[in-house]
Amino acid sequence: MKSFLVAVVAAYLIAAIHSILAFVNKRAALQRVAEWSLAAGFVVHTITLLEDWTLDGHYPLFNLKETLSFLAWALVAVYGVVLYRYRAQAIGVFMMPLISILSCAALVIQTGPNDAPAAFSATWLFPVHTTLLIFAYAAFFVVFIASVMYLLQERELKLKTFSAIFYRLPSLATVNELATSAAALGLTLLTLGIASGMLWSSTRDGRVWHNDPKEIFAVLTWLLYLFLIIYRSTAGWRGRRAAWIGVAGFGLVLCTFFGARLLGGYHVFG
Amino acid sequence: MSIVLVGINHKTAPVEVRELLAFSDRACTEGLPRLVDGEVVREGLIVSTCNRVEILSAITTDQLESGTQRIAEFLDAARNLPPGFLSDHLYSHTDENAIRHIFRVASSLDSMVVGEPQVLGQVRHAYSLAVEAGTAGRVLNRLVHHTFHVAKRVRSETGIASSAVSISYMAVELGKKIFDSLRGRVVMLIGAGEMAELSARHLVNAGATRVLIVNRTKESAERLAEEFKGLAVPFEQLPQSLSEADVVICSTGAPDYVVTADMVRSATEQKRNRPTCIIDISVPRNVDPAVGKVPNVFVFDIDDLESVITSNIREREREAERAELIVQSEVMQFQQSLRAMDIGPTIGALRQKLQQVARAEMERQRKRLGSLTPDQEAAIEALLMSTVNKISHPVLNQMRRSYELSDSETVQALRDIFGLEE
Repeated sequence: MKSFLVAVVAAYLIAAIHSILAFVNKRAALQRVAEWSLAAGFVVHTITLLEDWTLDGHYPLFNLKETLSFLAWALVAVYGVVLYRYRAQAIGVFMMPLISILSCAALVIQTGPNDAPAAFSATWLFPVHTTLLIFAYAAFFVVFIASVMYLLQERELKLKTFSAIFYRLPSLATVNELATSAAALGLTLLTLGIASGMLWSSTRDGRVWHNDPKEIFAVLTWLLYLFLIIYRSTAGWRGRRAAWIGVAGFGLVLCTFFGARLLGGYHVFG
Repeated sequence: MSIVLVGINHKTAPVEVRELLAFSDRACTEGLPRLVDGEVVREGLIVSTCNRVEILSAITTDQLESGTQRIAEFLDAARNLPPGFLSDHLYSHTDENAIRHIFRVASSLDSMVVGEPQVLGQVRHAYSLAVEAGTAGRVLNRLVHHTFHVAKRVRSETGIASSAVSISYMAVELGKKIFDSLRGRVVMLIGAGEMAELSARHLVNAGATRVLIVNRTKESAERLAEEFKGLAVPFEQLPQSLSEADVVICSTGAPDYVVTADMVRSATEQKRNRPTCIIDISVPRNVDPAVGKVPNVFVFDIDDLESVITSNIREREREAERAELIVQSEVMQFQQSLRAMDIGPTIGALRQKLQQVARAEMERQRKRLGSLTPDQEAAIEALLMSTVNKISHPVLNQMRRSYELSDSETVQALRDIFGLEE
């Protein structure tokens, strides 16, 4: 439903612009506009996805267009949770533009008719696999942003020179906790996502491992975040080093996400 | 009715003059009824702080000059100052300027330290004294409430008060930046100086629950411990108890480093890498600068704080420019609402309209009356006018009453009946 998606993109763009303005001007009224607009966009987006699902007859997470749209939707959902739990509006300044870009790209990209998705949505495991992983990516993106915010502020505190941005970011404790819990959530989702993928693959062609780039990157990502969680839990507050791992981890996430497209392999469908 | 503000502040008068003029609460409640005579000066309130003494008043518009004069004389007389003593320092603002001035004062734009939060409370207090003295009426009530609204807007929509501009408050600011909330945090004072005490008070007000005091002389440590319901820690135990502290404020007179990097490193290990904020306001420094290299420990010495404060003051000044825009738009809004509320022009217009009708009728019928003596003419004029006035009197009274009750609907209805424009 293209016209619906236009409305969604418009709402996200309004939210992005307002949350940036609210960040710069520190105005609560602008932030409220951003949040309401985001909520409205999310509702319409959800409807759009549901409609796509029923009209197209397959789970709306298969080709690139759908993936980008679904990823934007997942990011909004995750951002909503972050806002609710931590009131960390500053996160939105980084998330909202990305969400807008993703949904814009989803709007622009055209995909030809393809009957492959129907085959994949025959089994429920495949949609579960992709959905879990999309949400894991969204969670890791939050880890990334929170880690960058941590590093920026830690640096300024150590150098004792505070830029204008310093006063607008959430406290060290907040971003530290946010990064930790988002990493834990992301790792859980990633584990379940990989497991469901293996299970699906074994029911489809009897193999759980295909040695393709996406799988290798996924396992590396999984190991890195596992290390991050263990590292954080063994000695309490790890601060800077943990934050750097959070940043590096996201690099791996990007490799995993785009890996299949660039390097080919088993994970190329449609 | 005109709004007039007369006063002195830190920009126009030195402290020697301001302290002579300062009004106590009692002086306010006793002085106000003498100032407000109900004829010329209709309403009044006195804002008296260490940086300003200002009288905000509502004066009958055609008595503006004598009213302003009356306030200046009142200021001299109330504090037993020789007449004219204040004339070099006094400023007086009328209407738009007076409204803008009180908005700026309450929003802390006119303060010595722009954005300081006390002044709004002081204006609030001044208003409650005027209410008590019975000298706050319709105009001031509206003005003061609008003033509170403006101050609140400025505070929430600009960053004018968002960054610390005093050393004692920096501790709170930094603590919040690192720990998010100070609730449940432990503060350690090393040395029992006045500045440390003030900082600790701010931290406790912001939620810190425990205060540890380390001092070489036991007595002052115990005195502070009692004051903050904290714990006096013997100086020798400093290295051990350091691991309990989240925010450390150091201000001893020691000539060398009291807190060393090794001490902090082992304390950080003990507290599982949780961060520590160390503020060293002593000169010479008591915290080894090498402590700053320990991970998750943030050290600030007095120069660091000063430079942050300087940049914060600049930030406030930038924000103040935005606040001025808010004030400007609110002044215009308030004036508009005041005009809409002002009954004077309506009453004048109504009276004039009725009198015009009477005179026009008289003009039409004049020929039929033949020649009249000046006395007779005057009598007819008087007859007409008194008839008009007697008929309009209850209407005008009702209008005034509705106006006093802020019943703008009735006022508008009466306006409509007589076909009066705004």
